[in-house]
Amino acid sequence: MVLILPALLFGLLVSLQWRTQQERSELTVRYNAPLLDAANSLQNEQNTLKAQLADLRKQLDDIQKGAASQNTASRDLQARIEELRSAAGLTERSGDGVTITLDDARATTTQAANVDKSICHSTDLTDIVNVAWRGGAQAIAINGERVVGSTSVYCVGSTIMVNGTLMSPPFAVLVVGPQNDLLSAYDDPRELGDIKQRRDVYGLGFRVTRSSALTVPSYGGALNVRFGTPR
Amino acid sequence: MRTNSGVIAATVVALFLGLLAVTQVRAQDVYSRSLQLETPSSLTTLIANLAERNNGLRDEIFDLRVRTESARAEAAAGNGTLTESQKQLTQLEVFAARTSVAGQGISVKIDGSFDDKALSDLINELRNAGAEAIAINTLRVGPRSWFGMQPDRSLTVDAAPLRGPWTVTAVGAPEVMYVAMTRTGGIIGQFELIYRSTRFSVSRETALVLPSLANPPRG
Repeated sequence: MVLILPALLFGLLVSLQWRTQQERSELTVRYNAPLLDAANSLQNEQNTLKAQLADLRKQLDDIQKGAASQNTASRDLQARIEELRSAAGLTERSGDGVTITLDDARATTTQAANVDKSICHSTDLTDIVNVAWRGGAQAIAINGERVVGSTSVYCVGSTIMVNGTLMSPPFAVLVVGPQNDLLSAYDDPRELGDIKQRRDVYGLGFRVTRSSALTVPSYGGALNVRFGTPR
Repeated sequence: MRTNSGVIAATVVALFLGLLAVTQVRAQDVYSRSLQLETPSSLTTLIANLAERNNGLRDEIFDLRVRTESARAEAAAGNGTLTESQKQLTQLEVFAARTSVAGQGISVKIDGSFDDKALSDLINELRNAGAEAIAINTLRVGPRSWFGMQPDRSLTVDAAPLRGPWTVTAVGAPEVMYVAMTRTGGIIGQFELIYRSTRFSVSRETALVLPSLANPPRG
């Protein structure tokens, strides 16, 4: 008699465990497999398109630089274009700065109610970027994607997209700029209070380190200027 | 002897129970960021976003191919690449916020309490919806713009204070941006739940004029 209740519980848990695994697996295969293939295929296609775009930008740049010597107007225009390309993030930038790493908590003891606090969110990245600009950053990249005027950090489900590129933790945010000013900005207790609290309480991975000789890549996406005209 | 067997059996069962309970809890708690565990609905949204980005890249590649050939011909004729360079300059001036910009778009009016984090989220959402140029009241948002808040609760953009009510204007595809802002569960809906006493209104605009960046950063 003493064993009846534990035995019933035992049977219930075995059944629950088996069903959890089985349902998850069946649902994943039935609905997600083709969608997953499509997402991966589109991401691969995007990588190819970005490589083509970079190649064309270089070709055009070479032609313009070559032709700049043909007359003064071309030379002046080319100088202005170079300045704007740099300001817009279309050229690689190297220098000292800081690296911020952001990662989901790695401990597996997090309770379901707190999972949300132990993982990275798109808003964490936008907050980190905001502090970097405030600290005088000259160039920023998130996992190799340059942050420019059109950059969005977008979250769908638990996947994050930066410049339309799929990425997942850990995130490395490279920031070129004045190191002391940047470190002060990140140390400021008024900044990133939520992230720092989640790091201390829930084990969220968040670290700011001084870095030398960083290289931030150029922006490789489309400029998409179609509706706006200079006035 | 019978008692000892009973205790041992009960102990073994209890151990199994403990093990299974822990396994069950972990199966539900451990969070994986793998794309494979996204829901079909999330994957569909991701696919739509990727497809849209790729279309933008394809359009720009097509345009750039034409312009590269045109520049090559212009340079071969010994005339420099004035036509192409002027086009590129125009595009870059808009992209880098170095010129005032005119065009269609939307405006988002915010009247009531609001904060810098929410403003940053709104700008991020507009950029994701394809905004080409954004301004808040009379200040243009640039590639390195940052948002803050003063002790008197007024917002700051690049350290310049901006008192409410605020009007965020964005040049871009009006319908795409309008739908992105106002869809069910979208950012404006979320704001309305959080800032209950604040009034938000979104409207399509046919002729916006946004200023250029007030103080372009150096370096």
